Amino acid sequence: MSVTDQPSSGDPREALSDRIAADSLTTRRDYLRIVATVSGGLAVGGLGVAGGILPRHGDPDDAKAPSPKRIATQLLPGESLAFRYPDEEDRAVAVRLDDGTLVGYSAICTHLACAVLWRKDRGTEGELYCPCHEGIFDARTGEVTAGPPPRALPKVVLTEQADGSIWAVGTTRSGESVEHGLCRQLGENHPDLASRIGCPAVKGGGAEGPSFGAGAGTGADTSGRRS
Amino acid sequence: MTDARQSRNQEPEYPAYPEYHPGSVRPELNRPVHERYPQIRATSGYGDPRVRRTGPGPGAGTDQEPERSSKLTARLALAMTVVVGQLWGLTVVIDAWMEGHTGTAWWGAGFLCLSFLVVLGLWLIDPKDR
Repeated sequence: MSVTDQPSSGDPREALSDRIAADSLTTRRDYLRIVATVSGGLAVGGLGVAGGILPRHGDPDDAKAPSPKRIATQLLPGESLAFRYPDEEDRAVAVRLDDGTLVGYSAICTHLACAVLWRKDRGTEGELYCPCHEGIFDARTGEVTAGPPPRALPKVVLTEQADGSIWAVGTTRSGESVEHGLCRQLGENHPDLASRIGCPAVKGGGAEGPSFGAGAGTGADTSGRRS
Repeated sequence: MTDARQSRNQEPEYPAYPEYHPGSVRPELNRPVHERYPQIRATSGYGDPRVRRTGPGPGAGTDQEPERSSKLTARLALAMTVVVGQLWGLTVVIDAWMEGHTGTAWWGAGFLCLSFLVVLGLWLIDPKDR
């Protein structure tokens, strides 16, 4: 009869000592097998991540560029607005800074996916703050300024119409510029539009900046302000 | 006085000592003790006729193959080091994927698979080791 086959007397202390004695029977070869199993799991996880098992903000299900969406009729300086763009699971936050700059970011923290909040009272001009682990993002760039988040917040490209309405027209990934994100999204589905805004990958692109106000269906000129 | 001088010069003739032999002149008395006294037996130690093996001596219970043990420990240490590298590599893969660098993510996934093959080799290098 081995140690593990000994009948238990019901005493929790004795059961614990039995378990410890059984654990001591784990050989180094057993540990090697466990380590090999963990290594295989990490390899499979890496393949899954590279294959796209993790969702990214703004990645549509049908591989089409997100359509513009009006998120507010107006946004006053110092105020913020929570919205979802482009899909319902893509939580985002729009902020009008005190100097009138309009910025938009994913509201999902890049650390452990907690909700990112706009805190006007923090920092010099406010901060995007994750209360779970004290992660702080710069309000103008979305870069990490403090805390454990490993990447910058993905941006949501916002434009303002002449009537003051705020439209979300595209998204970027962590650390990606607005121009690059828009060109990436428009390059496949709207090459003519991408060419008009001067995307480098599209031949014949002009030098003018991105303007998506017409695509929103309002017919008004865009303000050109974006995050 | 002449008698005394005479007695000093003439040593008396004694018979020579017999040559020494250990034991008895009687062969039946020179047998081993357990033959002469079969009822007396040693009951412990190496004299005990029931003891057939020397038993554990100094160093009993220690590893008889320290080189093999060291190699197994080294394999385990190497495998754990590789797994730590895999954990770092997975963070790189996730960051690359989230930032849109899909090619970098696939290279990282290849690194993770190669690392797994290394660990698998360390595991299978001696399947009967313990």
